[in-house]
Amino acid sequence: MEEESDTRKINNSFLREHNYATEADIISTVEFNSSGELLATGDKGGRVVVFQREQESKSQPQRRGEYNVYSTFQSHEPEFDYLKSLEIEEKINKIKWLPQQNAAYFLLSTNDKTVKLWKISERDKRPEGYNLKDDDGRIRDPSTITSLRVPVLQPMDLMVEATARRVFSNAHMYHINSISVNSDYQTYISTDDLRVNLWNLEITDRSFNIVDIKPANMEELTEVITSAEFHPQQCHTFAYSSSKGSIRLCDMREAALCDKHCKYFEEPEDPSTRSFFSEIISSISDVKFSHNGRYLMTRDYLTVKVWDLQMENKPLETYQVHDYLRGKLCSLYENDCIFDKFECVWNGSDSVIMTGSYNNFFRMFDRNTKRDVTLEASRENSKPRAILKPRKVCVSGKRRKDEISVDSLDFSKKILHTTWHPHENIIAVAATNNLYIFQDKVN
Amino acid sequence: MIMKGQKRKHPPEEVEISDRSSPMWESQRQLVFSVSLNKYHHGQELPEPSLRRSVLIANTLRQVSLEAFAAPSVDIEVSPPPCSSSSALHKSVVTAKQHPAETFSNSHSALVSCPTVTLNDLSYCVPASNAPLSLKDEDEDWGSLSKDSDFSLSAAISSILTALDSTIDSCSQAAPRTPLRSLENLSAPSDGGVAWVKQGLRGYGGGWEQQEEGREWESSTELMRCSYLSELTVEDLFQDIDTSLLERDMEVLGLIGSGGECPTGDDLLRYLPPFSSSPSHPFSLSLNQNLKCLPSLSSFGPLSSSLPSLSSPHFSSQNHVREGLDLEHLMEILVES
Repeated sequence: MEEESDTRKINNSFLREHNYATEADIISTVEFNSSGELLATGDKGGRVVVFQREQESKSQPQRRGEYNVYSTFQSHEPEFDYLKSLEIEEKINKIKWLPQQNAAYFLLSTNDKTVKLWKISERDKRPEGYNLKDDDGRIRDPSTITSLRVPVLQPMDLMVEATARRVFSNAHMYHINSISVNSDYQTYISTDDLRVNLWNLEITDRSFNIVDIKPANMEELTEVITSAEFHPQQCHTFAYSSSKGSIRLCDMREAALCDKHCKYFEEPEDPSTRSFFSEIISSISDVKFSHNGRYLMTRDYLTVKVWDLQMENKPLETYQVHDYLRGKLCSLYENDCIFDKFECVWNGSDSVIMTGSYNNFFRMFDRNTKRDVTLEASRENSKPRAILKPRKVCVSGKRRKDEISVDSLDFSKKILHTTWHPHENIIAVAATNNLYIFQDKVN
Repeated sequence: MIMKGQKRKHPPEEVEISDRSSPMWESQRQLVFSVSLNKYHHGQELPEPSLRRSVLIANTLRQVSLEAFAAPSVDIEVSPPPCSSSSALHKSVVTAKQHPAETFSNSHSALVSCPTVTLNDLSYCVPASNAPLSLKDEDEDWGSLSKDSDFSLSAAISSILTALDSTIDSCSQAAPRTPLRSLENLSAPSDGGVAWVKQGLRGYGGGWEQQEEGREWESSTELMRCSYLSELTVEDLFQDIDTSLLERDMEVLGLIGSGGECPTGDDLLRYLPPFSSSPSHPFSLSLNQNLKCLPSLSSFGPLSSSLPSLSSPHFSSQNHVREGLDLEHLMEILVES
């Protein structure tokens, strides 16, 4: 994808188009497909809801393609592991779209243990005029049939069907935290706390284990895998992040088992900021390759870092997401917020990165201008078609008007999942059980 | 900064203190230690704790403990607010410092052993020095106690005994009754002893792999029976004990080992504390090995300032006789109660 300089500034230019209140369950993942036409959300109840963008009509140019519900289906059901006497949650941890190759859409959805390949297809015609049965489906008496006719396809109301085409199960002893489709469109990886498995999309009864960090003696376990992703262009390269703040880049051509990395990215700890929680806040919760494949972005508890794949000893850029929380780490540890796993996302041109925070805030960083903005996803603060107002958190004693103090932040409202349209400035933000879609206002 | 619906509490501190000489640092360290301890235990009580969370909490615990040791002056007293768990927690701190792998059946002060605080790193028994200890030093100091297997067993024993102490001190909650409950339900004292050990070890299996938990403690139970009743031979012991349970366990383990996706035999064996010296039978006993590390019961008295005395001399074979007598005495108490 050619790099274009994004000349539009990130401020005061976002409209709120719709608020899709699912109400039923907490949204656990959001993902645009490769064209941006579809947006999939997964929730804690194991459901997947797919939104489709309306075609822009010339008669109503101001309706710039809203997203409406296209399909809803139950992807995963709660299961019971009889061997361990444990329930397996149906919560959808990740959804990844496959590139579109025909009229149907395909996506991978996963819970803690099982990955499923779903086919979403449309049906807008049905055959009518059978010889042996009525249009209602009742069998006709053969003696009443006097002539033969050829069934004809008649249009019908659009029906969207979702069918499970593959089920990839029984390959993970630990909880799956991520899946990533390879650029060869034939394989994908699923990652749990200790292992990365490589699958062929056509084969469900076996997978290859390519990374295994489980120690021989589990007592020696001090590090787990938190996320993994394939390189967007190189089908032999993938990266995985760890709970100790490191990222390993692996080349599958080197060996069958990729325990030995070919690149190791880690920033040395700053002794001046060292605390009891240094390791916990360095744990990487998300890793994403840039669209051009030259950079890696990682999210830890307080920062987002952009790494150059050619430079392993330190990140290229570091952005403070909510540094005002640094002095509150002990309290955040007590109430478990320090374990929250925030995601991060690139825009289509890799010039802007976005990630979530607390109090329904989310942050955007422009890599070129070095400007950043804090926005809020909430019904109270946004009216339809209103421009989002930048928010500010007050860190010092004097609080200005419209600023919010650190102690007033609501830590139960966290934005963990966000996604960015691959080509346009449209973002989807999941705030607990509400989905917000924002579009850039075109002047 | 509060979660909605929660009462606002005065925050313990506002700033992370990196200056070790500051008195606030020590209090913060103790707070982090106690919070981590509680968190870890509560996490293990869940049917399926998050591995990432458990690892992070365990690493924090380890780091906090190491830093305490590296600090110039270390006040080992931990001061958790609830009085009901204070004595138990003190004991947990003491025994955690003594033994690398600890188990508690007290639900409020349990530091479940095994992987986490692979507290090979925790060696408070080593004479305090200003230099932070490397792992190598600690291993050397432990001497004959370098084997995890010994620690596991002694830890299990000490934890059960500690829990009993806390019960006797009557400063405990309902949870410590867990090890005694099976005794009350049994008619025969001999069976009670076995079941008591089993019950007390329930928390021992708390580790990363839930599917192996049950089998792990069942196997360690068998060893427990033989290791602390030092004067009995294995045959004597088994004459009194119904081994049908053991046979069932072995079958289960055999089934597990026969393959399948979930814990393979190799995984299971690797996970089990490596206390088997004989390769032919995974659960063979090595009595001498285990006897060496039996702690003196007298070391589990009320927390005192004489912690440096709880060091390696206790773990010599000279204490065996005294330990045997003490254990018998303890068994009598248990049976009577």
